[in-house]
Amino acid sequence: MTQENISGASPSLSRLVQELNRLPGIGPKSAQRLAYYIIRLPDEEAYALADAVTSVKQNIVFCEECQNLTDASPCQVCSDPRRDRTIICVVEDPLDVLAMERTRTFRGLYHVLHGVISPINGVGPDQLKLRELFSRLNQPDIAEMVVATNPTLEGEATAMYIRRHQGRDDLKVTHLARGLPVGGSLEYTDETTLTRAFQGRQEI
Amino acid sequence: MAPPRTYRCEAIILSYTPLGEADLLVTMFTRDQGKVRAVGKGARRSTSKLVGHLEPLTLMRMSMAHGRSMDIISQAEVVQSFSKLKEDLAGITKGLYLAELVNGFGAEDSANPELYWLMIETLLAIETDPESDMPLRFFEFHLLQVSGLMPELYHCVECRAELEPDAHRFSPNVGGTLCLDCNPEDAHLRLLSLRALKVLRLLDRSDIAAACKLSLDDSLAAELKSLLSTTVSYWLGKEIRSNSFLERLNNESLPEVYI
Repeated sequence: MTQENISGASPSLSRLVQELNRLPGIGPKSAQRLAYYIIRLPDEEAYALADAVTSVKQNIVFCEECQNLTDASPCQVCSDPRRDRTIICVVEDPLDVLAMERTRTFRGLYHVLHGVISPINGVGPDQLKLRELFSRLNQPDIAEMVVATNPTLEGEATAMYIRRHQGRDDLKVTHLARGLPVGGSLEYTDETTLTRAFQGRQEI
Repeated sequence: MAPPRTYRCEAIILSYTPLGEADLLVTMFTRDQGKVRAVGKGARRSTSKLVGHLEPLTLMRMSMAHGRSMDIISQAEVVQSFSKLKEDLAGITKGLYLAELVNGFGAEDSANPELYWLMIETLLAIETDPESDMPLRFFEFHLLQVSGLMPELYHCVECRAELEPDAHRFSPNVGGTLCLDCNPEDAHLRLLSLRALKVLRLLDRSDIAAACKLSLDDSLAAELKSLLSTTVSYWLGKEIRSNSFLERLNNESLPEVYI
């Protein structure tokens, strides 16, 4: 039941509940709780929230190079002269860039696809930033592309599609190693992961 | 006595969607209960004992617990991962096409073991030859059969006359083949060549191994593909979304598209 079904609810409150209800993972009850929480917030905190939403929609753009979300294009990573411009890491989402940056081990550039090929959900290559990736790969100084899509079925399908269509014979195409997670357990590891962990074993 | 809180089942994973912070909502097709939707708690965490086990197109043996609104996956063991199929883009796409159809035709709490085994044998056939389209044609035809929607191939559905060895008409709307003398008003009516009718009858009689040995020329293959996927889509009542990517893979040449 949404707020509009409740007699006596004000139209502006109903609207807020409806808008919150559109967010992923927010059901009608959670939307009502959040709406009442916002109403009880001090004015400045509520306006700061509204301002943050407006500002993010007005200022965030796609980086013209890596397609990541940024305040100014090109983004900080793409405009940093200290980054290695010969290697591109292809990731699914902007959050993956943050995860990679936390490692402080990759110093190249990124390309954000904004999704994966998902035939069942009707997401094909045209809905992703693949056209931008392939035209970017025409730059001859790019020597390696690391395809860092998630090791899921759809992530692997996307990686295969990219490898098949990247169109350069001299480009080194790699993907991240597959294997055991730190803190994982051999007993519960699936056979595909374990097989790949064996294939990628390292001398100690 | 209260029913047991846990049960075991064998299932093929059809799809999943993220749920909450780290859970997965998994749709699977079980041998004994038909389609089941269950929650994999914490399955998106890299150290979860379920991680890697719940990928689509994996045959699993699972322990489940009845939940208040949805069942919970408590343990999962891989029976068959179809890993060779998953090394090939065409194989993955065809597998996902099957998953979409089984998701559409399978019903919750309604066992259909014939459909369960049909999916497994078709995945194995695709794994053997990912480039061949015959496993898909066999699957589409027998999907109709095990769903109680088998088209009539031997008599005219209007006048009931035995079909002569000639070209005919076909419509999923009237239930199959029509002789050329019968021409009802039907938007789904299409011509059916004698060669295509013979292949349909062969699919009816043969197992998947024999069907996959068939070699069809391009025009016959295109006619069968169009006829069967249109019929399946008609009964599904909506477009088969993975079909467009499958078509694209079949048709597209190489990367110059993007350059």
